Amino acid sequence: MAAIELDGLTKDYGDVLANDDLTFEVETGEIFGYLGPNGAGKTTTIRTLLGFISPTGGSARVLGHDITDRSALIEAKRRIGYLSDEPGFDEDATGTEILDLHAAVKGGERRDELIELFEPPLDRPVRDYSRGNVQKLGLVTTFMHDPDLVVLDEPTSGLDPLLQQRFAEFLREEKRNGVTVFFSSHVLSEVRRLCDRVGIIREGRLATIEPIDALLERTGKSVRIHADESIPLDALDVAGVHDLETAGRNGETTDAFTECTFTFTGDINTLLGRLGEYTLLDLSIEEAPLEDVFLQFYGER
Amino acid sequence: MFEFLRYDGTKRIRGSIYLSAGMAALAAMVIWVYPSFSDSFDGDDLLEAYPPQLIQVFDVETMASIEGFLAFELYVFGWVILLGLYMAYSAAGVIADDVDRGRMDTLLAMPVSRPRLLAEKFAALAVPIVLVNVLVPPVILVSIRLIDESIALADLAAIHLFAIPYLFACAGIGLLCSVAFDRTGVAQRVALGGTFALFLVESLLEGTQYEAVGAIAPMRYFDPNEILLESVYDPVGAAVLIGMTLVLVGASTVWFVRKDV
Repeated sequence: MAAIELDGLTKDYGDVLANDDLTFEVETGEIFGYLGPNGAGKTTTIRTLLGFISPTGGSARVLGHDITDRSALIEAKRRIGYLSDEPGFDEDATGTEILDLHAAVKGGERRDELIELFEPPLDRPVRDYSRGNVQKLGLVTTFMHDPDLVVLDEPTSGLDPLLQQRFAEFLREEKRNGVTVFFSSHVLSEVRRLCDRVGIIREGRLATIEPIDALLERTGKSVRIHADESIPLDALDVAGVHDLETAGRNGETTDAFTECTFTFTGDINTLLGRLGEYTLLDLSIEEAPLEDVFLQFYGER
Repeated sequence: MFEFLRYDGTKRIRGSIYLSAGMAALAAMVIWVYPSFSDSFDGDDLLEAYPPQLIQVFDVETMASIEGFLAFELYVFGWVILLGLYMAYSAAGVIADDVDRGRMDTLLAMPVSRPRLLAEKFAALAVPIVLVNVLVPPVILVSIRLIDESIALADLAAIHLFAIPYLFACAGIGLLCSVAFDRTGVAQRVALGGTFALFLVESLLEGTQYEAVGAIAPMRYFDPNEILLESVYDPVGAAVLIGMTLVLVGASTVWFVRKDV
């Protein structure tokens, strides 16, 4: 059984079609990344799946429970952990008081272990928390009842790099224990580190759904070259070079360059073979930012 | 069960004690000025100088006795108006504030139904409603003794007992506003305006051919003058207030269950 099944799920606000006929499944035990630019409808999908808003069309099931069946959804929520993109807690309460409430309602068998891992400040009122501390507390509330399915909306926003790393390790461990993870993100490095499959949503519609490796292949690399000599443009006449921008020495020629940037989706060996003949000062090949992926995927179409 | 009631109720204790202290101070002050007031005027001389509209609005019957003075200065003004508005205002934040500040998602992600969440959060308003009606009467009693006056204990107990369903009904108005509006500020303003409008409707239409319209106002079913001056208690009125509260909570529940938060 799939952990999450969407069947034509639609949310029409009248002026905005936030989710348009979404159909896909999240398999039990996988980490599924849900990507899209701001305003694409990621949060709408998540909030519909959890019953905060009602779909205007289609249906969906979480852990086998129909999301429009209110009592069934409450049953499902006993086994679901959820972290919203802006976790909201009672500002007057301390972390301990909030965790006590959550433990009383849904159980908290993993509370102590999670506190040790994420270290939220427990004795201070939430009002005095930084954004990162709110996120840490949110992570504890999300996992404390040992859920089978976790739904995370931008889980690492506000976390420092050390905690992001710790969170990634933790999530992989959870996956090994059979937990299904559905999370939305902007950060490609995070998605790449964690996800098995990704779904990309744009303007409320599902643009693609594929394994992360396939996506990365299509995504390409961001390449920057700084050469000690002028390199003829022909050298970059290699399959997979996109969005090439060049600059020559003293702006001299247009058919040669000393500095350039481009996105590369081809075979890196071919590229390096071509560049081998020239003396370079610097060369960087990095993962393209997610924004570039979107531009590449949809920008020109 | 009752985790949210316990949580919200506990959180309301401190504020309710401040509220009770404030109302006790108001009560003590009103009682303290009574002797100089009654010495300066003979009988209801002063009352005759008041514009009749004002007397009608505030339902002033007499100020020539401590009971009549308290009924107007403390109970109509302090309980019917001030506390009624305060409870409507407070209840207007019950749902709207959590929605407004993004806390509702965190709450509803827990395995809890919306009717239960709403009912428990509303029930937590019993803390201020009951505390103010339990903590203030002893202060009133002692204050009255200190100025060498007296008041029937049963009447004092009755007025605070009957104030409880009245204040719950006012809170019900606030609760309905709280689910109707997502912004706390709007919900609170509408709750305040609506409750005060009901008070005006009830008192201004009294004696006119539209008097029946006032039947929708909770203020019709809680009359401090009747209790303090005539020792007449109105259990039917209290039952109407309880019914009104249930209808308001029921309507709020139906609305809350259906709405997108």
